[in-house]
Amino acid sequence: MTSSPPAVLELSGITKHFGDITANRAIDWSLNAGRIYALLGENGAGKSTLMSILAGRYQPDAGTIRRQGRTVRFQSPAQALAAGIGMVYQRFMLVAPLSVAENIRLHGAAGRSRSDRQGASIRELAVRYGLAVDPDALVQDLSMGERQRVEILKLLNRRADILIFDEPTAVLTHTEIAGLFEVFQRLRDEGKTIVFITHKLEEVMAVADEIAVMRRGRMVARLAAADVRSQHDLARLMVGREIILNVDKPPAAPGETVLAVSGLSGPAGSSRPGFEEIAFEVRRGEILAIIGVAGNGQEDLAAGLAGLTPLKTGRLTFKGRRWRAPQWGRKPHEGIAYIPADRDRTASVGAIDLVENFMLTQLAVFSRALRLDRRRAAAATAAAVERFAIRGGGLKAPAGNLSGGNLQKLVLARELARHPDLLLAEQPTQGLDVRATEAVWQALLHQRAASAVLLITGDLKEALSLADRIAVIFRGRILDTIAARDSAAIDRIKLLMAGLETG
Amino acid sequence: MIEELAFIGQIAVKSSIAVLLATLGEIIAERSGVLNLGVEGMMLTGALAGAAVGVATGNPVAATVAAALAGGLLALVHGFFSISLRVNQVLSGLALTILGLGLTSFLGRPLIGTRPGVRLAPWPIPGLAEIPLIGDIFFRQSVLAYLAYILVPLCWVLLYRTRTGLKIRAAGEDAAAVDAAGINVFRLRYLCTLAGGLGAGLAGAYLSLAYTPGWKESMTGGQGWVAIAMVIFAGWNPLKAVIGAFLFGGLTALQFYFQAIGIELIPAYILRMLPYVLTIAVMVLVNTGGGRRRGASPAALGVAFNREG
Repeated sequence: MTSSPPAVLELSGITKHFGDITANRAIDWSLNAGRIYALLGENGAGKSTLMSILAGRYQPDAGTIRRQGRTVRFQSPAQALAAGIGMVYQRFMLVAPLSVAENIRLHGAAGRSRSDRQGASIRELAVRYGLAVDPDALVQDLSMGERQRVEILKLLNRRADILIFDEPTAVLTHTEIAGLFEVFQRLRDEGKTIVFITHKLEEVMAVADEIAVMRRGRMVARLAAADVRSQHDLARLMVGREIILNVDKPPAAPGETVLAVSGLSGPAGSSRPGFEEIAFEVRRGEILAIIGVAGNGQEDLAAGLAGLTPLKTGRLTFKGRRWRAPQWGRKPHEGIAYIPADRDRTASVGAIDLVENFMLTQLAVFSRALRLDRRRAAAATAAAVERFAIRGGGLKAPAGNLSGGNLQKLVLARELARHPDLLLAEQPTQGLDVRATEAVWQALLHQRAASAVLLITGDLKEALSLADRIAVIFRGRILDTIAARDSAAIDRIKLLMAGLETG
Repeated sequence: MIEELAFIGQIAVKSSIAVLLATLGEIIAERSGVLNLGVEGMMLTGALAGAAVGVATGNPVAATVAAALAGGLLALVHGFFSISLRVNQVLSGLALTILGLGLTSFLGRPLIGTRPGVRLAPWPIPGLAEIPLIGDIFFRQSVLAYLAYILVPLCWVLLYRTRTGLKIRAAGEDAAAVDAAGINVFRLRYLCTLAGGLGAGLAGAYLSLAYTPGWKESMTGGQGWVAIAMVIFAGWNPLKAVIGAFLFGGLTALQFYFQAIGIELIPAYILRMLPYVLTIAVMVLVNTGGGRRRGASPAALGVAFNREG
């Protein structure tokens, strides 16, 4: 019973609320030295919050943290670091115009060691852990992989022995990921504790010793990597089982092809990988869902199709007209209505009223010569408010006063009022409650009769409820397109979302 | 010819010291990420405090210290609003200038027309003042000018050669990263804002104790704004601030010179405008000419820091 080594860190009953949302609910977890832990879960499962609590950035509302048996409370990242717990954030905490050495020195404990002696110790650490990086280079000139090494050096220089990484592979290339995992193993062999957040199963299998799975703020599983029989089990733990189809969906009656793309890559002029070789077609009368875990290129794809960012290569055919990707350009296309994922910033302007927001994407419709026809716009907005039961202060109220669900219904009503040939809906129900979600779903299904609908989502339940066909995107590529009627497809989609090809 | 050059040079340096002191202070504040547009107000407050304490005590050290502290106190008001309350820094700074203008013109009334209590007369440095031309230009100035000479390299060393300077520069670029490094961003920014206020206060003291001793309403005449422009001109580098300040001082001196020798080709009003017009012109050139210099602006300048936001 006592054969296991003492825990270097023990969490019990950690709970954290943000307003009405419970990000972490009664989390218990214990970490040992010389182990690599993977913290697995979907977006919004509460992984980053939990790690930020460990690193002293947030304070828990309830629960205790014990460090080597002693109860600790961290009021700031500095205190956590002094206790040997350091975190590498997804957004690197480096000062770009300063050099590597300056960044590390900035991080050093006050009053300790002179700069030249520290220079030597940086080099020594770098060699010991295989973290080669030029101390005199400016951070802004470094690749993402090199910046990450600087982050690790910063923590090692402060003698951290618990190192937390928030989605460390998200910004790295394949070779850089392999290098990072080697560093993880070296650190583990030196007795350090590594915790890394991820939603990629293959990474978990590649490097983790212990796995914890979070879902909706709870820790639903803790297991040793050796005990995991298949990645399928992990995928099921991560996504959950509760898939209920509660929207009545009549069979589709596809008409002519509205949009067909082939070999599409983008975004242009960006070093990010984005998406590659995308091919699909979507017809009038059907809903095509493109599903993927966040960060697999679907955000860039939506922005590219909507004309927000330029496309790189490939061909598009829209309403019979052929386009080369670069010509598609940075402009919205007549006949495409777009519901962006970020309804507060991209889709609407919080400071102006409902009517003005309703006019935003259809200014030409509501103008007479140079004058805006406010009366007609107000009537149209009132009709939309009526039809979608949008509540929150009336037409003259600023859109920012609306709740997420009501704002989304307003955006949806606006875009539908444009009578599009293609409706591009990106994460249309993210963060909405059940009633608003159902209203949005009903509207999208209803719209299917009039136009083609391209639904870009990370929500499997949404895709299964609405789509006629589901294309799974992983690392910027569509792995497969599956007919949604097939109930056996659910398992397969889950695996594909996690990047597991099955034959 | 040499005599005229020495005369113009001496006036030029003399006219540049207030701008230089205020610029140095503002560079420290802005490097830490706090934009303080209240320099004019802090300078005026410093000038009045210096003049008043001078009249009351006759003690030059007390007058100078009082001026610096008055500027610092006002800067802390800006710090409270912009750092603690995260109010828009432009608004808070502008309010500070307006407050300084109003407060000093009200409180300064009894001092108008009184004999200045303290005069920091030029104090030639033995030996150095005897160097031909250079000695006349640089070393027959007031004590506060010498203080400014010393502060220029000191500020540079502070910013570029010390750990504190590293923290200051980093806080101005990326406060979250500095916070993650376990450094108290709030305290750091407060201290730098205070340093900016002390600099502006000293600049005010220079005006009311050395440059034109005595109190006059709005006696700074926009030099606080020139200092803010010079921070940008200098690319937030204390050494380059010298060039900017001397440029301003030089134009002021030329204007005096033309008036003194009685050239009437250009109306005196136009001449008096010259330093300010050229300040604007230089700013336009700097901002359109080189993308590099714009890149030198601290990335987090004017952005309040909030850990959970």
